[in-house]
Amino acid sequence: MIHTAWQDFLAAHEIWREPLIASLIAGALCGFLGVYVVLRRTVFVSAALTQLSTLGLIAALILEESLGVEMEHVGVQLLFALAFSVAGALLLGMALHGRRLPAESGVGTTYVLAGALVVLGANRLVHAAHDLNAMVFGNAVAVPLTDLLILAGVALACAIVHAVFAKELVFVSFDGETAAALGYRTGRWNALLFLTLGLAIPVTARALGALPVFAFLTIPAAAALLLASRLRTVFALATAIGVVAAAGGYLVSWFWQLPTGATMVVLAALFAVPGALLRRR
Amino acid sequence: MMAGAAPILALDDAAVGYGREVLLRGLTLEVTAGDFLAIVGPNGGGKTTILRTLLGVLPPLAGARRQPRPLRVGYVPQRDHVDAYWPLTAAEVAVMGRYRLLGTGRRPGERDRAAVSAALARVGIEELADLPFRTLSGGQRQRTLIARALASEAELLALDEPTNGMDPAAELDAMDVLRDLHRGGGLAVVMVSHRLEAVANYARRLCFVDKDQGLFRVGPLEAMLTPDALGALYGRRVAVREEGGRRFVYPETEAR
Repeated sequence: MIHTAWQDFLAAHEIWREPLIASLIAGALCGFLGVYVVLRRTVFVSAALTQLSTLGLIAALILEESLGVEMEHVGVQLLFALAFSVAGALLLGMALHGRRLPAESGVGTTYVLAGALVVLGANRLVHAAHDLNAMVFGNAVAVPLTDLLILAGVALACAIVHAVFAKELVFVSFDGETAAALGYRTGRWNALLFLTLGLAIPVTARALGALPVFAFLTIPAAAALLLASRLRTVFALATAIGVVAAAGGYLVSWFWQLPTGATMVVLAALFAVPGALLRRR
Repeated sequence: MMAGAAPILALDDAAVGYGREVLLRGLTLEVTAGDFLAIVGPNGGGKTTILRTLLGVLPPLAGARRQPRPLRVGYVPQRDHVDAYWPLTAAEVAVMGRYRLLGTGRRPGERDRAAVSAALARVGIEELADLPFRTLSGGQRQRTLIARALASEAELLALDEPTNGMDPAAELDAMDVLRDLHRGGGLAVVMVSHRLEAVANYARRLCFVDKDQGLFRVGPLEAMLTPDALGALYGRRVAVREEGGRRFVYPETEAR
């Protein structure tokens, strides 16, 4: 019976090929970036940015409906989502340095305000409201080739930035005050880091869904931090956990007919168990 | 300050603070090559703000900051400002002091690792190089941060409460390292401390700061360690005693 199910799965490769590849890329990207998100204590930034990218989509749809401007092409909609997310990421990146209020207050305000504007905006939509959920949160079971290519492009760009500027991004994140005293323009380096987050979140949310993206920006890094005591290992492990949880979650959800995103999240959480039990030094 | 020497850093009639909140106004201060300046005052008195403004981390809210040429700076922040959550070893923290020398996008090499080993040895924690920073004691972390500053081949060492959390012996060792480096010639040291006694045997100049009193006074060590100057800073009589070649500074007990 298992043999038959596996054969059926392989025979359906045209259905799952793009979604599975997208899940692997998104899992790796979110797992890696999550190390910065967790260590910088900005886990709710991903939730706020997802809301902002939703707001971008709403803006695109409202423009389409009210002005008759053509926004149906997925690239145009994603462009709006990216613009809102990137702008929000850069603003939040700057706000995290404020001294008057804790950083969480800015992130929380952004999240609820963007959420409220999404509700108000969706209320104005006549035709496209029913498509909004799928546009924002995607459907890990069916990812169009265009979405996959955009996701791969964003992942490659993020990988290059983080490979070339690894030491600067780590230094500014770990001890921004000393970096500034040594002459680093910490605001610009923080902006670069948050730019990669702002780019990654809308495209991975379209591929995986908002809940898995939030989870993958938190759980793999947390699990890796519990298991490893060297930063390089933590980055590698978090990326690997993201990949395995995304791929494993996809397969499990396929065979047991479970919701894909939620299965991925539960699988990612299982990786935190050995770390919590073993505890690194 | 060496008479007639050109400053490497200066504040001219500067106001310092955060945002629009001015803590102190009218500050004029010059640091020259080979200087050893200690900025002393009570906690929350504005010392760190002055240091940050001097280094260019904070912009002056009025007046000007001068830095005639690019400087290699080694910086030791207050220990609590460094996030011990990061999974970095002592050597990985110390090598960050080399990053400015390396330039953007380049990785540390053998020469940098040798410089880090030498810096860790200089502060007496070479054997801790591969241990996680988070597992080190407060004093050991502080030494790691000093080693990071030393590894930077700095022309100016700026230290913010560098001996906080150290036991007295470790504090003396750390201060002796700074003195030896300074005596090597050319290196300027600017150090913030709320403990006058920690710097009274090492600094050449003192800067007394207390924003609550609007106090900002700079002068040679001998001129500043007087009952009048100390009394202005602490608001009570403070005695200075020399014993065995070392100065001891302590507040006098009020007569009952």
